[in-house]
Amino acid sequence: MPDLAAARVDLEGALGPDGVLADPLGLALYARDASMVEGSAGLVAFPTDADQVSACLRIAAGHGLDVVPRGSGTGLAGAAVPVGDALVVVTTKMRRILEVRPEDRLAWVEPGLFNLDLSTELRPSGFTYAPDPSSQQVSSIGGNVNTNAGGPHCLALGVTSAHVRAVDLALPDGTIERLGAEGPAAPGYDLRGVVVGSEGTVGIVTAVCVRLTPIPPDVRTLLLDFATVADCAETVSSVIRRGVVPAALEMMDQGIVRAVERFAHAGYPTDAAAVLLVEVDGLSAGVEDQVAEIEAAAHEHGVGTIRTARDETERQLLWKGRKSAFGAIAQIAPNYHLHDCVVPRTKLAETLAGIYAIAKRHDLIVTNVFHAGDGNLHPLFSFDRRVPGTLERVLAAADDVVRLSLDAGGALSGEHGIGLEKRDFMALAFSEVDLEAQACVRAAFDPDGRMNPRKVLPDGARCGEFAAAAMARDGDLPEGTWI
Amino acid sequence: VDLIHPHSVEAAASALVEASRLGTRVLVVGGRTQMDRGNPTEVDAELWTTLLDRVVRYEPDEMIVVVEAGLRLRDLRATLAEHGQEWPCDAEEDATVGGAIATGADPVRQLRVGLLRDTVLEVEAVTGDGRRTRSGARTVKNVTGYDLHRLVTGSLGTLACIAQVALRVRPLPRAARTLVTRDGGLDLGRRVLETVPLPAAVLAEPDGVTVRLEGWPDEVREQEDALRRVAAADPVDGAFPGRVFPDATTLVEAAVVPSALPALLEERGAFSASIGVGLAWIPVSGPEDLAEVRGRAERLGGIAPVVRGDGGLGDVPVPALGVHLRMKAAFDPAGILAPGRGWIP
Repeated sequence: MPDLAAARVDLEGALGPDGVLADPLGLALYARDASMVEGSAGLVAFPTDADQVSACLRIAAGHGLDVVPRGSGTGLAGAAVPVGDALVVVTTKMRRILEVRPEDRLAWVEPGLFNLDLSTELRPSGFTYAPDPSSQQVSSIGGNVNTNAGGPHCLALGVTSAHVRAVDLALPDGTIERLGAEGPAAPGYDLRGVVVGSEGTVGIVTAVCVRLTPIPPDVRTLLLDFATVADCAETVSSVIRRGVVPAALEMMDQGIVRAVERFAHAGYPTDAAAVLLVEVDGLSAGVEDQVAEIEAAAHEHGVGTIRTARDETERQLLWKGRKSAFGAIAQIAPNYHLHDCVVPRTKLAETLAGIYAIAKRHDLIVTNVFHAGDGNLHPLFSFDRRVPGTLERVLAAADDVVRLSLDAGGALSGEHGIGLEKRDFMALAFSEVDLEAQACVRAAFDPDGRMNPRKVLPDGARCGEFAAAAMARDGDLPEGTWI
Repeated sequence: VDLIHPHSVEAAASALVEASRLGTRVLVVGGRTQMDRGNPTEVDAELWTTLLDRVVRYEPDEMIVVVEAGLRLRDLRATLAEHGQEWPCDAEEDATVGGAIATGADPVRQLRVGLLRDTVLEVEAVTGDGRRTRSGARTVKNVTGYDLHRLVTGSLGTLACIAQVALRVRPLPRAARTLVTRDGGLDLGRRVLETVPLPAAVLAEPDGVTVRLEGWPDEVREQEDALRRVAAADPVDGAFPGRVFPDATTLVEAAVVPSALPALLEERGAFSASIGVGLAWIPVSGPEDLAEVRGRAERLGGIAPVVRGDGGLGDVPVPALGVHLRMKAAFDPAGILAPGRGWIP
């Protein structure tokens, strides 16, 4: 067993007494993220710079402590939930923008910086940082990197990985390596590409070099409503078939529209079965061409009204509706379980029908607001966990949703990650050989298996060369880790 | 050298099992268009992927195509064009999909179409010891598990043999136009990039700037008008991109940040520099000239591998060497895949 008291003394020596939490309330706060999973933390550290991150890792290594990196804690898959007596290293005190270099189309930032603060800061330069997860007001760039976060505006421009040029990564032994390059090519394997989306299992990101994207000269935002969910979903494929890749293509069903409308008053049509929020951008001339194609696609599927934002104020209002969805659903019930799965775009309509059927079967309320253009669904089950038996039904429904999307040829997660929540489903998506290879990728960074253990891969997945060490360490998941 | 020319992924896997057992060193070969990339390697056998050339699945509405790695770009382009789509890779017609991925051939049009690595959604690869392993998924978005497909992209055949891939494709632009200005130089290139909104590529040479415009017809007209406000320019016929410096025996592909291009190319007589990207193709006259270019690139924080002729990758240290070595050991335990060709010793 690691000696937590001794580790605490060392950490306080390196970070100062304010940099370490060890009281029961503090430990409880950092024992969970935004998922339904709860674990337990041994110690919590708040480094203020890269050197202090290194110190945390060296001290953890010296005391044999597991390490769980954590940003803002908005993750939805339990990847930042500590298991056992781990040291949670929180990057929220590292939130500086280190440099902005428009000519090189890059900026260096610290991992704790809020996503939206970066975009806001960049705007005067004529550039933006494209990924915009719904949590962007409070989620950190470091967390976004670790989950390979998406967002509405990732349809045309790609998710986080496409916007990260390089990272400084503190390896489990505390050494910091720059992976990737500021320029267009780097020597060696694309380790940067592995770090992005690694859910804190390969090291701690101490700085991120993000790609800046020019803000397009013109943008048009449309809200389209439909009498049936199927018509709305099929319009998505029709738009793509016409050769249009909008900047964003978001779908909301009636349940979510009604909740949002009471909250945001964006003028969404509450009698429609579903709406599409579509944004196209580019040069003014091209924008007109794209709008014409989208309208034609929508008419093929019996669109009701097409509302076009007349100005930036109206555009922001339409987006407020979309972006406030997860706040608005608190009106439906006190708790919600938000899913994340991807299916081929052409399977959206049937998958949605399947999701409604699952909700009915388990007697649950489900609403849907999601990135339709990517086929990335977010069914949202609202419930009251105080009602006995409800939680069990919610979890059973979750299981059904995973199988439904895999049966449709989809993936386990589009943007939230695997974490603890979905790791035991990994064997449904990959063979044993695949999982062993993935375990080797991870072990190449962390041969001792101390970085965020038990996450992403199921316990059985081992890299041959490193299997013995891992098996000696892991017992069963501690009692009470789940919920 | 011996030849392994498998008809199936299974056969390729068996061959690699055997090669690892016997210690037979193997170079995986696609279309033979980028053989000079990487450091020289000595092998006992070549594994040709060119019989693995099926289009496994293509659903245009999904904008995803699944193909075997030996498919030639010429054939892939023809298949996709029937549905008005393209894979945004600018490699040569004879190149194979797997070869383009293994060499990390980022498109010249990357300002508009992005990077090659972001189009590779799923890879089935055969490890050096013959294990068939898959990562990623056939969806445009996916964060499930570790991205082995990232590692093989640009790995120069040193980690695994790419057997089958799912690629994200895109609509072909409705309009495309290539123009060349009558004056040249990096400064003009930079002014073009600042003035013309969202170009696909701006390639500055000493005596002209080639500008590639792609998009909706009205959009391309608007871009062209913007270009003409900066410089007189004439349209060019033919495919884009053309072969860079076709007569050069030794060609470097330097990579630095865009703001370092002037320092990299100062007093060089011939170059083609991708403005806003930071790639520069530079013909070099011999080992001393190569060393000079390489020295400059490295002082500017970049790299300068040779892509045609002799010279290899250059002597740049890789970061996290231990991670690299463990990765190589895990995927090619017998060390038979293209020994020495990559960046690690």
